[in-house]
Amino acid sequence: MNRTLIYLAMAGMAIILQTVLLPLVLPGDSKPDLLLILVIYLGLHESPWRGGLLVYLLGWCYDGMAGAFPGLNGFILLGIFLAVRGIVTRVNTESSPLLLLLVTAGTVLQSSLVAFALDFFSQTASIWPQMVWHLPTQLLLNFMAALVLLRFTVWLQRTFVPRGNLPGLRKLDSRYES
Amino acid sequence: MWEWWRKNKPLILGGILLLMALLWYSVNLRQQDETNPMESLVLRVTGPVQAVLERVISGVADTWGHYLSLVNTVEDNRRLIEENRSLLTMLTQSDEVRLENARLRLLLDFKEAQEIDTLPARVIAEDASSWFRTVMIDKGREHGVVEGMPVVVAEGVVGRVVRSSPRFSRVLLITDASSAIASLLQGNRARGVCRGQGEQLVFDFVLRQEEVKVGDRVVTSGMGGVFPKGLVVGNVKDVDRQEFGLFQAIEVAPSVDFSHLEEVLVLLRGPQ
Repeated sequence: MNRTLIYLAMAGMAIILQTVLLPLVLPGDSKPDLLLILVIYLGLHESPWRGGLLVYLLGWCYDGMAGAFPGLNGFILLGIFLAVRGIVTRVNTESSPLLLLLVTAGTVLQSSLVAFALDFFSQTASIWPQMVWHLPTQLLLNFMAALVLLRFTVWLQRTFVPRGNLPGLRKLDSRYES
Repeated sequence: MWEWWRKNKPLILGGILLLMALLWYSVNLRQQDETNPMESLVLRVTGPVQAVLERVISGVADTWGHYLSLVNTVEDNRRLIEENRSLLTMLTQSDEVRLENARLRLLLDFKEAQEIDTLPARVIAEDASSWFRTVMIDKGREHGVVEGMPVVVAEGVVGRVVRSSPRFSRVLLITDASSAIASLLQGNRARGVCRGQGEQLVFDFVLRQEEVKVGDRVVTSGMGGVFPKGLVVGNVKDVDRQEFGLFQAIEVAPSVDFSHLEEVLVLLRGPQ
């Protein structure tokens, strides 16, 4: 329960950062998708049912702040979560570069799912050209954000709770990599 | 059979879950123009935090901007005495007030020119995703703002309200891919539909035989039932009269600078 609340608080912080702070700091309309990084992290470290329900709930919350299609982000984030769960037994989840790779792949999957859901189900104009144009910037921003978050979170844990065991964080610490 | 089920259970259950989520999204598209309780809750919870943060960040940014301009001024004018520097500080601060004044005066003139009741609102947040174009304003149902109301500034059309909670609302900008406005060319009255494409607009369904020039002004036609007639949408940026087909390909540059959107007016009329 505590962990769920922490995840919800982190999601809330991510949404506030993406809607208020990052648009002021970054030029243009692109901003890193911090919620996507959280969903990938959940995919690596949470059980399918608990994580799946939480991710779907996060998607519905995300709908309140992004776009005008209720249920769209629930579908997209759940798709990304299930894709990560699908490969989690076949890869070394204790590697931090894996998280960065998954964030990159997750960004491509996210934009593909957005385009699929809008082009096939809604009456909007095709969003593909816009997506293709913005995808390289989005990939770079998400990658950089994941890298910074990874380093920052590990530093926070080492500094403030060196003996603590936050889920997944010790595994992502480069000291434990061979 | 049991072995097959055990082996493929995660895949099948995952697929079913995803399909259900897709179906739920598809069903919800019918209620796309209404605010559901979850969205209302999110707006209610995040709105006040965003409003406070926006004020704090704007304040810090202004102070930082003033500080930077001061540093530059000192570097450029080393011989200026302390009195001049403090006067310059005051001037810089009053510049900000003057600019805000000018913006609000423009908005006020526009407000007085409107026959429809208008409500000024402040933009407090942007869309959380890079793929959509919406902004959040600090007025909601308590102030009379409901879904479908047009939002404008003195320069032209901004968008329409798509979600509203008691104190906050979200506005779909005309540059969003899901936005479409019934429009016409002010000069020759050729009709079409302006659709959002990220930073700019495309003006669809204008017949090939219509004479369209770069720089022509595009205004709302009032046919869509959301926007009143005659509001400026933008200016024609590029025209491609294709060899085949019924219509021309026209790009339109929006008249509103969406990267510097601070104050807007909500036209207090519902969709007709």
